[in-house]
Amino acid sequence: MKRKLVASLLAAAMTVGMLSGSTMLTFADEAATEGDVQTVSADGAVVTATEQTKATDNDLVIALEGSVSGLDPQNISDTNAISACMGMYETLLGWDDDGNMVGVLAESWDVSDDNLTYTFHLRQGVKFHDGTDFNADAVIANIDRVSDPDNKLNRRRLFIITDENGNETKRITNIEAKDDYTLVITLNQPYNVFLNKLTQFMIISPTALKEYGNDIMNHPCGTGPFIFKEFEEGDHTTMVRNDDYWGEKPSVDSVTIQEVPEAGSRTAMLQTGEADFVYPFTSDQINAISGSTDINVTASPSNIMRYVTLNMNLKELSDKRVRQAMNYAIDKDAYIKLMYNGMGLPATSCVPSIISYYEEQTPYTYDLDKAKELMEEAGYGDGFDLTIWGDNTTQEIKGMTFVAQQLSQIGINVEVVPMEPATVSDSIYVDEADAKINMWYVNWSASDRSFDSSVRALLTSDMVPPTSANTAYYRNSDFDKTLNDALASNDEETLKADYAKCQEMAWEDCPWLFLGNDEVIYASKSYLSNCKVNPDGSLNFEHAVIAQ
Amino acid sequence: MSTVTQTADEVILSKPEGRFKQFWKKFLKRKAAVVSLIFILLMIGVAVFAPIFLKYQVQAADYNNMLAGPSMKHFWGTDEFGRDVFTRLMVGTRLSLFSALISVVIGTVIGVILGVLAGYYGGIFDSIVMRCCDILFAFPDILLAIAIVAILGPGIINVIIAVAVFTVPSFARIMRSATLEAKEEPYVEVARSIGCSPRRVLWKHVFPETVQSLIVNFTMRIGTAILASSSLSFLGFGANVTEPDWGAMLSQGRNYLNSAPHMVICPGLLIFLTVLAFNLLGDGLRDTLDPKIK
Repeated sequence: MKRKLVASLLAAAMTVGMLSGSTMLTFADEAATEGDVQTVSADGAVVTATEQTKATDNDLVIALEGSVSGLDPQNISDTNAISACMGMYETLLGWDDDGNMVGVLAESWDVSDDNLTYTFHLRQGVKFHDGTDFNADAVIANIDRVSDPDNKLNRRRLFIITDENGNETKRITNIEAKDDYTLVITLNQPYNVFLNKLTQFMIISPTALKEYGNDIMNHPCGTGPFIFKEFEEGDHTTMVRNDDYWGEKPSVDSVTIQEVPEAGSRTAMLQTGEADFVYPFTSDQINAISGSTDINVTASPSNIMRYVTLNMNLKELSDKRVRQAMNYAIDKDAYIKLMYNGMGLPATSCVPSIISYYEEQTPYTYDLDKAKELMEEAGYGDGFDLTIWGDNTTQEIKGMTFVAQQLSQIGINVEVVPMEPATVSDSIYVDEADAKINMWYVNWSASDRSFDSSVRALLTSDMVPPTSANTAYYRNSDFDKTLNDALASNDEETLKADYAKCQEMAWEDCPWLFLGNDEVIYASKSYLSNCKVNPDGSLNFEHAVIAQ
Repeated sequence: MSTVTQTADEVILSKPEGRFKQFWKKFLKRKAAVVSLIFILLMIGVAVFAPIFLKYQVQAADYNNMLAGPSMKHFWGTDEFGRDVFTRLMVGTRLSLFSALISVVIGTVIGVILGVLAGYYGGIFDSIVMRCCDILFAFPDILLAIAIVAILGPGIINVIIAVAVFTVPSFARIMRSATLEAKEEPYVEVARSIGCSPRRVLWKHVFPETVQSLIVNFTMRIGTAILASSSLSFLGFGANVTEPDWGAMLSQGRNYLNSAPHMVICPGLLIFLTVLAFNLLGDGLRDTLDPKIK
C-alpha cells in the first residue's frame, strides 16, 4: 500500500514536472518583474514609504555590502573605509551637496597665480577627540607622516612625483606655518588637482600620531562629528557622537557600520529594523520589499564608471577596428536595464558625466551590421576566442555573462572566468611579459571628482601593471602629453580643451568597452532622514536624523 | 545426432532468456521502480534529442523579458537574462546526466577491478586497497570532491574526476565482499581444481556472481553523482557559469529567490526528481535481483 502511494505520487510529480509546471508555479507570476524598468522620480525616489514610523532607539545601523578594510585614513583606498573614516576624521576641503568645493577644516584658501603656492586659512577653535588643538602644525605633522617612505602609506602617492624611470621627487618643496592658523604649501610644479586631492586627505591628531605611530588605525583620533568606539575587522565599526564637535552636532547617538555581503540578508535586516540604512540596495531587491510600507528606496547619480578593459597587446585586440566593432556590438541600454533595472545611463565618454570637464562623445550606438563590417574589414569575420576576468560576485558574473552574450553576436567567443577578488588582482598586477589578461570587467570611481584622477591610473602609458591599472596597455603619447599639459595649467579654457581632446582620443581608440554609469541605490527606514550615499559610493551620515 | 545438437542449442539459448523474463516479470511488480525507469528513459531521450525539439536557443537572451514567471510562451519562465528556463534545463540534462554517468562509469570500472582483485587474491594487496578505501571513506563525499576540485581547479572535467574518485571506494568494498562470498562457492573451487587459469576463474565464475550488486549500486550511485556534480556547480566549482548546468542554474536563481522563485524551484525540482528516480530504480532492482526477496 505504502509502495503504491509512493509510486502514484511520484508519477504525478513527474508528469507535472515534465509537462509544464505552469499550473504548479502560477504564484510566481505575481512576484515576477517581467523585466520592467523602474521609474525614478526627479528627487531620486524609487520606492516611497507610505507609513511614517518611529524608531525605538537613536542608534544608526548601516548595512554595507563590502568590508571596511582599515581605519588609518592615510593608508586606505576603498570606499567603505573612506566612509567609516569620514565619520571620525575631517579634511581641509570637502564637497557640498551641489558638488562645489567648500572649506571644512580650512575656512578659506588662496592659490597663487603661478599655481604653485597654496595658502590655507584654518578654522580656529577646533579640537581633536583627545583634546589636542587643531592648527597648522597638526596639518604639517600629517603631511610629514604620509610623506615618509618608511611608513609605507598608500596616500603617499599624492605627495610624490614618479618619472618614467621610477625615480621619486617630492611634490611639496616647502610647507610653512605662517602662524597657528595660516598654512602655506609650495609645490615644485603646477598640479591643478591638488585641491581635489586634499578633499580626501584626513587630518589625524598629532598627539595620537606621536603616541601610536602606525598603530593609529586601532586608535582613530580626528576632529570629526563622531568618536571611535570599536572596530572589528570583517564585522562592524562603531562610533559615538562627539558632543564637543565644532560644527553642527550630529543628532544620532551612535553609528554602526555593519558588513553584510548578501543582498537578501541586508534587505531582511532593513525589514526587521535591525538595520536602518542599506547600501547597495540592488534593484532586483525592490520587489522583495513590496510588502513593507516603511522603507524608502533612493537612487542618485554616481561617478562609478563600468567598463571592460581590452588588452591591446593581444594581436586581435591591437586592431582599432576590432575594438570599435566590439563597442558597437554591445547594447548599452540593455546593459543598464539588465544590471540596474534601468537605473543608470549608458557611458558617453571615458568618464561619467558628473566628473569635471566631461564632454559627451558620439555614442557607439548598438549596430551589429556595422560591427560585423568592421570585424570583416579587420580580417576577423570568423571571430576569435577571448576570456573575460572579473570578481565572483553575483552582479559581476551577470555583467560578464552579458558581455559574453553580446560579443558572441559578432563571432567572438568569450569564456567567462569569475575569480576571487584577490586572485583577480594577483593575475592582473604582473609583469607585462607574463600578462595573461584579455578582458577585465571592472569599475572605477574617483572620489576627488577630478578628470585627472579618473583616467590617469587607467589610461596613461606609465601606469601599466604592475605599477597601476592601465590593464588595456593603452599607450598613446598624445594622450599622455595632453593630460600632463593640463595638469600644469589653471586656465579654464585650456583645461577644457585638453580634457576634451583626451576624451576624444580615448573614445576613438576604444581601449575599453564603454558600458555605463549606474546610479547608487540605497534604502532606508522612513524614520531616518538626511542619510545618503555620495556619488562615489561613500556614505554621508553626519547629519542623519532618526525620528523618535 | 542432429536432433541432439539442436536440443543442446535450445537449452543454451533459452536459459538466459528465461532468467531475463523472470526478472522482468518481477521488476514490473515494483511500480515505483517502473515509473522511475520511464522517467529516466525520458530524461535520456531529452538529453539526446533536446536541441531538436526545443523552441528556443539555449543561450538566446531576451532583455525585454527578464525574470518572467511561467507563462504559455515560457513554460518555466525566464532567467535573469530572459533566457528560457525550460530550454536551459532540458539542454542541461545532457550535461548533468552525462557527467554523472561518465564519472560513475569511471569510478565503477576502477572500483570493480580493485575490489575483485583484492577479494580474490587477499593478502597484502587486499590490505593496501582496503586501507586506502578506508581513508577515502573517512571524508564525507562532497568534502572530498571539493578538495579534489580545489586541487585540480574548477571545470566540468575535474568534477567528473572528483566524483569518480569518491565512487571508487564504495564499489571496491562491495565488490570485494561479493567476491569473497563467490570465491567460497563449490563451483569456483571445482573450476580451480580442474586447473582453470585465475583469469578464467575470475572472469567466468566469480565476476558474474557479483553483477547483481554491481547493477544495483551503479544505479544508486548515478543519483549520488548527479547530486554531487550539481552541488559542486552550485558552489561554483563545476561547469562554467554560462553553461546550462542544473547546479549552476540553481545557484544563479538563489539570488532571485524572492522575486522569481521559479528560477530555483524548476532546477531544484528536476534535480530532486532525477536523483529520486535513480534511487528508486536502484531499490527496485535490488528487490528484484535479490534471490532472498520473493
